[in-house]
Amino acid sequence: MSFYLVQLQMSVTRPALALLRNMFICPPGTASANERQYRSMPTHRIGRWKYLVPKQAPKKKKDRHKMKPIIPATNRAYGTLNVTVSGYDMTMVEHYSQYIHNLCNRLGVQVAESFALPTKTTEVMLVHEQGTKMEADAVLKTHQRVVQMSSLNAALSSVFMDVLLKNQPEGVQLSVKEQTEADYRARFKERPELLGLMAQINK
Amino acid sequence: MAAPCRRMASRPLFQFLTCFSRTAVGNTGFRQFSTASVCRATLQVKNVTERASSPWTLMAAVCLQRLPVITADGSPIEQEFKNMLLQMEMEKSVMSDHELRLLDDAERLRRKQSADYDSDEEEDHGKQDILLGQDLEDAWEQKLHRFQPAPRARADVDEDLTSAQRCLADLLVLLAEQQVGDEKLWLLPQTQWQEGETLRQTAERALASLPAGFKATFLGNAPCGVYKYKLPKAVRTESSVGTKVFFFKAILSDSAPPKAPNAPLLWVKKSELQQYLKPAYMMKVDRFILAV
Repeated sequence: MSFYLVQLQMSVTRPALALLRNMFICPPGTASANERQYRSMPTHRIGRWKYLVPKQAPKKKKDRHKMKPIIPATNRAYGTLNVTVSGYDMTMVEHYSQYIHNLCNRLGVQVAESFALPTKTTEVMLVHEQGTKMEADAVLKTHQRVVQMSSLNAALSSVFMDVLLKNQPEGVQLSVKEQTEADYRARFKERPELLGLMAQINK
Repeated sequence: MAAPCRRMASRPLFQFLTCFSRTAVGNTGFRQFSTASVCRATLQVKNVTERASSPWTLMAAVCLQRLPVITADGSPIEQEFKNMLLQMEMEKSVMSDHELRLLDDAERLRRKQSADYDSDEEEDHGKQDILLGQDLEDAWEQKLHRFQPAPRARADVDEDLTSAQRCLADLLVLLAEQQVGDEKLWLLPQTQWQEGETLRQTAERALASLPAGFKATFLGNAPCGVYKYKLPKAVRTESSVGTKVFFFKAILSDSAPPKAPNAPLLWVKKSELQQYLKPAYMMKVDRFILAV
C-alpha cells in the first residue's frame, strides 16, 4: 500500500519538476534557434502563435499612384465602365452614388473604384437693365461622383440601366462611359515646371 | 451572412434573364442621359447550315416605357416624416452668412436707435449701411412672385390615354391593339421573327411598324421576359404548336413624336394594365415592368 503510494508520488512529481525546470530555463513561447524545444516534452509547441497570424507583405515605401488596368470589353461583357453622377445638390448626388455602389454590391458587379471629381463652381452674373455693370446673382456648385466598375455582364446591363434610370432623383445627371487613359490623366494636376524642363530637354 | 443575402436579393432580377452573345450599342436617350457610344458594327448572324425547325412561332415585342418626368408626391406618412426631418435639420444647423448678416443689421439698428449713439465708435462704418439684408430679402421675394412654375398635373391631359404627357409622375407603357389570330387584342407591340435577324432587330422592327414614329433606346440585347402561348388543341398541328413572345425593354427618347390620329395606341400606367391585357399575358408582363 505504501509502496503504491510512493510510486504515485514519484509519478506526480516528475512531470512537475520537468515543468519547473522548463520554466526557469526557457519560458514558454520563446524558443531561440539555439535552444530547440525537445519534441517529446509535454510542453512542446505550447505558446507558438506566429504561425497563426496571416502573413503581411513587408511595407514598402509608397510608390506613385498606378492606374488600375483598363479591362477591355468582350463579346459578353462591358469593360471598365465609369458611372458619373453630377448635379448641384450635393446630398442628392452623394446619396445616388451610394445607391449605385450598393446596387453593384448586391448584384455582384465588381466595383473597381469610387471617387469624386473636383467640384466646379459657376458664378451666375446678372447684367443690370440700365447699364453694363454685372452683379453676382448666384453661385452654383456642380458636384461629381464616379463609380467605376470592372466589368458588367451584357445581360445584366439592361436590368442595371433600367433600375438606375427609374431611381434617378431630380436634379441629378447620370452618365455611363467607358474608362480611357485620358480620363485617368485628367484627374491629376499638371506640373508646369516639369513640362518646361521636359520641353527643354527635348528641344 | 453577406453572401447569402446578396444572392437572394439578386435572384428576382435574374429570373427572367437569358444570355445572348451579342454586343450592345447604346445611344443618347431622353432626359440628359448619355451612354458610352460604342460604335461597333452589329455582328452579322452566322449562317447556320441546318436548323431544326421548331413547332413554335417566334415573335418579339417591345416594351416601350416613358420614364416619370417629375417626382411623385409622397404618401401622408412620407410627407410628415420629411417635414419632421427638415425641422430637425434646421434646428441642428448653424446659421448661414445671410442670417448672420440679418442679425448684425438688426443689432446695429438697435444700437443706432438707442439714446447714447456715437457714430464714430462704429466699426466698419459706411460699408454695410447701403444695402441691408432685409432689402435683399425683399428683392428675392419679388423675384419669387414673378416666377410661375408650370402646373404639375393637369386633369385633362391625365385623362387622355393616348397622350404621352399624361401622369408625369408615373411610368407609362405603350400598348397597341393588334390582330392576333382572328381577334383584336391589346398587347405590347409585337411582330414575327424572320430568318437571319436577331430578336432585338425584330423588336426594333415592331417599334418602327407602329403608325406613330417613336424614337427609343433599347436597353441591351437580352430579352427581359417571355410569354408562351399554346394554340387550342383543335387548331394545333405538327408544325405549329404555339407562339413564344420575347419582350425587349426600350426607353422613349423624344417626348413629342408626330401624332397620327386614330392610331390604336395607349399609354397606360402599371396599375391600369390589368384592364387591357389578358390575365395570363398580364402575369408575365407584370414581372418585368419595374414601377412603384
